[in-house]
Amino acid sequence: MKKTLLVISTAVMVALAAPAFAGAKQDAVMDHYKKLAKGSFSAERGKAFYSAVHTGGKPATPSCTSCHTKSPTGTGQTRANKPIAPMALSKSPDRFGDLKKVEKWFGRNCRSVLGRECTVQEKGDFLAFMYSQ
Amino acid sequence: MSDISLISGANHGKASARGVRIWDLPVRLFHWGLVAGVSTALVTGFLAEEWYLYIHNWAGYTIAFLISFRLIWGFFGSKYARFASFIFTPKETIGHIKEFARGNSAHYSGHNPAGALMVFALLAVLLLLTVSGVIILGGQENLGALAGFVSFEIGAFLVEIHELLAWSLMLLIIAHVAGMIIESRISGENLARAMVTGNKKDASNQPITMPVSTIVLRAVVIAAIVGGAGFALYQKYSAVPASGLVKLVPNETYNSECGDCHYAYHPSLLPRSSWQGIMANLENHFGEDASLDAETVKSLSAWLNENSSEIWDTEAANNLRKVSPKAPLSISETPYWQSRHSEINKNVFKQTNIGTKGNCIACHSDAKTGRFDDAAISIPPPKPNT
Ligand code: HEC
Ligand code: HEC
Ligand code: HEC
Repeated sequence: MKKTLLVISTAVMVALAAPAFAGAKQDAVMDHYKKLAKGSFSAERGKAFYSAVHTGGKPATPSCTSCHTKSPTGTGQTRANKPIAPMALSKSPDRFGDLKKVEKWFGRNCRSVLGRECTVQEKGDFLAFMYSQ
Repeated sequence: MSDISLISGANHGKASARGVRIWDLPVRLFHWGLVAGVSTALVTGFLAEEWYLYIHNWAGYTIAFLISFRLIWGFFGSKYARFASFIFTPKETIGHIKEFARGNSAHYSGHNPAGALMVFALLAVLLLLTVSGVIILGGQENLGALAGFVSFEIGAFLVEIHELLAWSLMLLIIAHVAGMIIESRISGENLARAMVTGNKKDASNQPITMPVSTIVLRAVVIAAIVGGAGFALYQKYSAVPASGLVKLVPNETYNSECGDCHYAYHPSLLPRSSWQGIMANLENHFGEDASLDAETVKSLSAWLNENSSEIWDTEAANNLRKVSPKAPLSISETPYWQSRHSEINKNVFKQTNIGTKGNCIACHSDAKTGRFDDAAISIPPPKPNT
């Protein structure tokens, strides 16, 4: 009971703080990272991280935008030419609802782009940016 | 001249300046239908891209129908259509050919001995061509009435024979046309036109006597029987599942985990060793990280192991088993893939709606089934950049 109250109240808080694109599943995923993080997340930092050109990863994919397009609301494309639905939650409300899937792709894509795992901070900022778009 | 044909007309039905009826309508339709069918088959067989194979197949079915009809018509048709009217002894035949070479020829109303020999040779070669064609179609392409019965190997073997027969056919056709022209010169009778009108001008010819109504009735009945039997046999045997295709239990995990970045490649496209190599190197997957948790890797490896190219007998699986030593994990680097796609301009693969060689499904609409049928190939036209 206490737990549900907590979930509901955080949901309300998040809903008040940002445009309400996130559903309960997306909030649960965000909460997972919030619990692990030291500070708070920033959509601004997430935007910069998303657009930055990184080194250290695989040469064909220097940036998240290599596949996900410059604007998070655009339809991306894999290197094998398969379309990727937009990352922005406003466009793809089903995204970021499954922690296992989110972790799988953070793992793959961060290693491909940065050559390392992303930090909790980077992940949270990225999600905050996508939740606001 | 017209006087004489009037006299012979008095004997048998209508005759006029148009001449004397020699070839009944079914023989003529057969002849020109065969010309159309054989031309189509030769052009599509030798010149056209293999993806026009279905036109070649239809030409083949048409030829098979015509030949079967003609074999029966040879017993029930009108006078000169019957085999009995143009079976000559070897002595007669050799004598005729010798005369012919000297530039003169005895007169025959129907087929002369050399022409008769040609008819039988053409019928035999065409019969062998259509039979071998259906076997190849079943073995190599897993299509048609014999798809369920013939292995790839037998199909591949018969391809050589089919080709040899096709070359022989071309020689026969050249000889047939040359003989026809020479004979026309000698006899003063345009034989090609006679096969169109059915009539020969020279009134010394004995016209056929079978009434038109009988001819039409018999021809329709025989055509219906041949067509019906052919169709029924085709229906019955093509319903047998193709022998080269394995019944694949759909694997949802594979389709989603290996279908996120590209179409989920059919397991028949690579041998076991390659799939195992791919599953062991997902962290470094064609320049990308595609790693999965250990449990999923294990179950997908097992499934790929069970369904790899070794157990399939399709054209693609048989040919793609041999991988490139330099890139053993790649389908598009295999020698067969390279040779089959060598004629495609490199820029085509860069088109926005194709993008890469690995995007099989952009050009092969049946890529998910592993068939890679010729009829399912179509390169999408370039789209203007958006
Ligand atoms: C090589 C191409 C590629 C690059 C580069 C890439 N991604 Fe992705 N990403 C994908 C694909 C493909 C998916 C799965 C698409 C889908 O689910 O529709 C995906 C999915 C994701 C997901 C999961 C989305 C969900 O629905 O749960 C996250 C999170 C993600 N990417 C983050 C990133 C980040 C962060 C970067 C940059 C560090 C990045 N990606 C760079 C191809 C890429
Ligand atoms: C993160 C994205 C991603 C995932 C997930 C992925 N692949 Fe790939 N795969 C690629 C890319 C990119 C290529 C290179 C395509 C190209 O260049 O045409 C490729 C190529 C291939 C090729 C070679 C194709 C060719 O052109 O010869 C095979 C086979 C293959 N992948 C199998 C798999 C299997 C099996 C899985 C599942 C375990 C899988 N892939 C999952 C991205 C991915
Ligand atoms: C740009 C379009 C295009 C792409 C992409 C493409 N193909 Fe093809 N493929 C063709 C064409 C065209 C032919 C026929 C070539 C010919 O007959 O000359 C062909 C022929 C083939 C054949 C032989 C079929 C037969 O019956 O003769 C196979 C097998 C095949 N492709 C497999 C693949 C696989 C596997 C991939 C993906 C790894 C692929 N192709 C990607 C266009 C493409």
